[in-house]
Formats: sequence, C-alpha cells, structure tokens
Amino acid sequence: MRRFLALARTAAVESLAEPLTAVLFLSGLATVHLAPVFHYHQFGEAGRLARECGFSALLVFGLIFATAAALHTIGRELESGTAAATLALAVPRSLFFVAKVTGVLAALSLFAAAVACATALSQGNSAIASLLQSEHGEGTQSWGPGLACGVGFTLVAFALAAAANRFWRMRFCLSACLLLALGQPFALLLAWVTGIGLPASFVGFGPLFARLLPPFVVLLVGCSVFVALAGALATRLKGAPATAIVALAIVASFVRPIRFLLPDINHFWLVDRLAGGAVLPWSEACPAFGAGLLLIILWLLTGALLLSRREIS
Amino acid sequence: MNDNIIEITGLVKTFRDFWFRPLAAALKGIDLQVAKGDVFGLLGPNGSGKSTTIKIVLGLLKPTAGKVSLFGLPPRDRRARARLGYLPELSYLHPFLTARETVRYYAGLSGLDRRTAHVRTDQLLEQMGLAANSNRAVGGFSKGMARKVAFAAALVAKPELLVLDEPTSGLDPLATRDVKELIRSLAADGMTVLVTSHQLFDMQDVCSRVTILSQGQVVGGGTVADIVAKSADPRHALEDYFAASVQA
Repeated sequence: MRRFLALARTAAVESLAEPLTAVLFLSGLATVHLAPVFHYHQFGEAGRLARECGFSALLVFGLIFATAAALHTIGRELESGTAAATLALAVPRSLFFVAKVTGVLAALSLFAAAVACATALSQGNSAIASLLQSEHGEGTQSWGPGLACGVGFTLVAFALAAAANRFWRMRFCLSACLLLALGQPFALLLAWVTGIGLPASFVGFGPLFARLLPPFVVLLVGCSVFVALAGALATRLKGAPATAIVALAIVASFVRPIRFLLPDINHFWLVDRLAGGAVLPWSEACPAFGAGLLLIILWLLTGALLLSRREIS
Repeated sequence: MNDNIIEITGLVKTFRDFWFRPLAAALKGIDLQVAKGDVFGLLGPNGSGKSTTIKIVLGLLKPTAGKVSLFGLPPRDRRARARLGYLPELSYLHPFLTARETVRYYAGLSGLDRRTAHVRTDQLLEQMGLAANSNRAVGGFSKGMARKVAFAAALVAKPELLVLDEPTSGLDPLATRDVKELIRSLAADGMTVLVTSHQLFDMQDVCSRVTILSQGQVVGGGTVADIVAKSADPRHALEDYFAASVQA
C-alpha cells in the first residue's frame, strides 16, 4: 500500500505541477464563473447556460488535462528513465501502472469537484439574475454575491500561489491548481452562508449542488475511461501516436462508439436530464457509472499487461 | 554454500525491431559472478554491453538466452529486488519533486514505514551535504547535486547490493572524489557494489574485481590487486590492462 500511495501521490503532484494544468484549471473555472454575465441567453431556463458551461468545461478541459497528464506521467517516465529507476526496485509493474493512473484520476477528480462547485455557484447566480430582472425590469446588473465570490476566489488563488512561490519557494503551478480547486467550495459556501436578501423564490446554492452531483459523477467516470486508455497506450507508444489514437477514440465515442471498448459519451452526457428543474436519480446514474467503471478496469488491465511484457531500456 | 550475489551464465541478448527481426546482438554469451562484499567493476568501451547486462540483472530487460540469478532468485522476483539499490546512468529524477520528497518517494517505494523514511531521508540528505537545499525542486539542481540526490535515493533502504551505472559521469573532480569516498565507505560497511564506468583511474581506486566487456563478450578480468601486481606501471595498471584486453 505504501508503494501504491507513493506512486499515486507523485503522479498527482506531477500532473498538477504542469503549467498546462494551471492554464486549463483557470480557463475552465473562468468559463463557468463568467456564464451568468450572459444572462440574456438562458435557453428557456434560468441557469441552463451556466450548467452547460460547467459540464462542457469538465468534458473539454478535463479530457485535455487528463489525457495529457496520463500520457505525460507514464510515457515520459518510461522514456526518461524514472520508470527504470522505480521498476528496478521491488515495485510490480502492474502496481506501477495502476498507481500512476490513479494519481492522474485523483487530479482529474479535484478538477471535477472544483468545476462542480463553480457550476452550482454560477447556476445560482444566473437564476438570481433572472429573478431580479423579472422583479426590477431590464438593465439589472446584479448577479448576487456569488459572482464576486467565484471570480474573487479564483483570482486570489493565483495571487496566493505567486506569494507562496515568492516567499516560500513553493511550486507555483501546483499551489495555483490546489488553491483554485480548494477555493471553489469556499466560494460556494460563502455565497450560500451570506445569501441574505436573495429573492424568496431562489432555491439556494446547496440544493443546486446536490442536483448537479449525479450527472457530474457520471461524466467524470466517462472522462476517466480516456485516462486509463491514454495510460495503456503510453506504455507502448510514443507521445504523438498515442495522442492521435486517444483523440480518435474521443471522436469515435461521440460519433460511433465501439461497444465494450469505448464509452458512448451520449450515455454520460446527462445535462439534458436536468432540464425543466428535473433531477437525475442515483438509480439512473449508477448503471452509467458502473459501465464506465468496467471500461476503466478493462483499460487498466490492458495497460498493466502491456507494461509487464515491455522491455525497459 | 554459494556466496555469489549475482550469477550470470551464458547470457545472450539480441535486440529486435518492431517486426522481431534481429537488430543488434548486445551480449554474446557472457559469464560472471559477483561475490558478497565485492566492489565489482564492469568495464568496457561504449556499446560493449555493460548497461544491457545491468538492466538484465535488474529485471528491466529479458535475456534472449542464458541464466541470471540475483540473490539466488530470478531477477524479476520482488524478494531479490527488495535487497538492491540502483543508481541509473543519468540521474533520472522527477523534476517537480524537492530533494526531500524525492528521497522519501524512494523510501516509500522500498516499503519503509513513515517514521523510518523520515529519519533515513534526513540522515542521507545531511550526509550528502544537501540539507540546506532539501526543499528545492531537483529540476533546478546542478548535475552534481542531482547525482547526490539520486545516490541518497538509492541508499535510503540500506540495500545489500548497490548497482551504480556510471556514478561519476559528468561530475567535477571534487564531486568525483566524494563519490569514490562514498563507495569505499559503503564497501567497508560490507555492502556489495556493482559499478560500471569509463573512468579507469577511478575504478582502479575503488574496485576489488573487474570484468572487461567488448562487443558483447568478456575479454578480460580479475582482481584489481592482481592486475596492479602484474603491471609495469602500477599507476596506469587498469588502463593498460583494459587497452590490451579490448584491442586483443
């Protein structure tokens, strides 16, 4: 277990310490937080744009981050020689592979949790804007305290990371990603706690988060399949061909998924199930979650097998 | 009772291309034994098969033919690999980890408990003169400092066998002297060391036995004391012996 934790923790730290990760975290969260600004485009339902922005951020930025991190963490280790130094010790190759993918999945989960909190906050802000607009007429520019919280915490995270780097030599990108992710639940909590004076018909940030959780979990599992797939490919292929195959697999999973090998993203994209105030019950989310989990296990086993037969020179 | 830590018999390694066609014959049937307590030098020109031999001993490459045993077990047996430490040719380290995190990472991989890992890490960082820089990311270290971190990582679990691939490559004279001192002190404590290097003066200083490889075959070897005793110029004994063996 100690070996597994050491490997997984290092993979997570390396994934989060990449400059690309900080850019993706910031872009994803900024996209979600700024959605309420476009309050004239609600697609028939207050907060729907913000919600779809949140899911899209996880799907697009999450997929880029996760596949890049998996290819980088496993592929680069094998090419650079750190894997040789590790596997020369009493570390089974299957453990090495599974732990590395787990570390990347942990980093992806952190991103997903941050986006989920940001989406709840953003959707609430959109709903507040819509309510205030209907009460006070056109031209209302108030989106409640939430927008300030969300944007403020995001900017403060970067400022704190810069200060930590300046004064304590802490790694900037790693600190920025962690603070960005940890800042989102705080922003949500603060908006929830200080929500005095909000329109009476506003359902509240907490129930919004609970409603978003099941489809977010399902989508996270769908994205995680590609992390395991990218990791498995990285055990045998160099960066460019592995990236090309993962990109093709992502496109295929939208257009023509291969049963028992690739997820049908349409089954994991459940944002439409929340339309009109509906809730996705866990009893419906769980089968999609289970199907994704089986595909993750399949690719983990494949990757472990490929690595165990590989010569590491 | 067999006292050999490493036993290699008739080792052959042929690298193949994507279509499994033979690409290069790296080893053509070598035999060697490393006894307990030896500081064993595996010497040879570039492409002679030193690193390939080491990687087969470490279980990273599979032999095409022949037999290899490590502590009397197959090289990929975890029980055997749990007893060794490895310093690769280049200091392959995770650039984002600090020196302290790197050594603790390898302590974790060796299965040390948290408390022991902390104590050993602090000890080794102090011993290597890295305590003041222990919280800096190793990606920004000089080659010599990175080598010291890699050394600390290889030693953290107190291995019985230490495998060093070009330990002094690229180091300045002072850092090279430190590494040689370290190898000597480890040998004095009873550790078995398998070392490869092109630095023949350094090898003559630290090794008790050597084997010379050329084009995948053993072309010479023996105890350093014997080689020095038979040489007309004891200061350059190993260099002369190496040149004579390789050119023969």
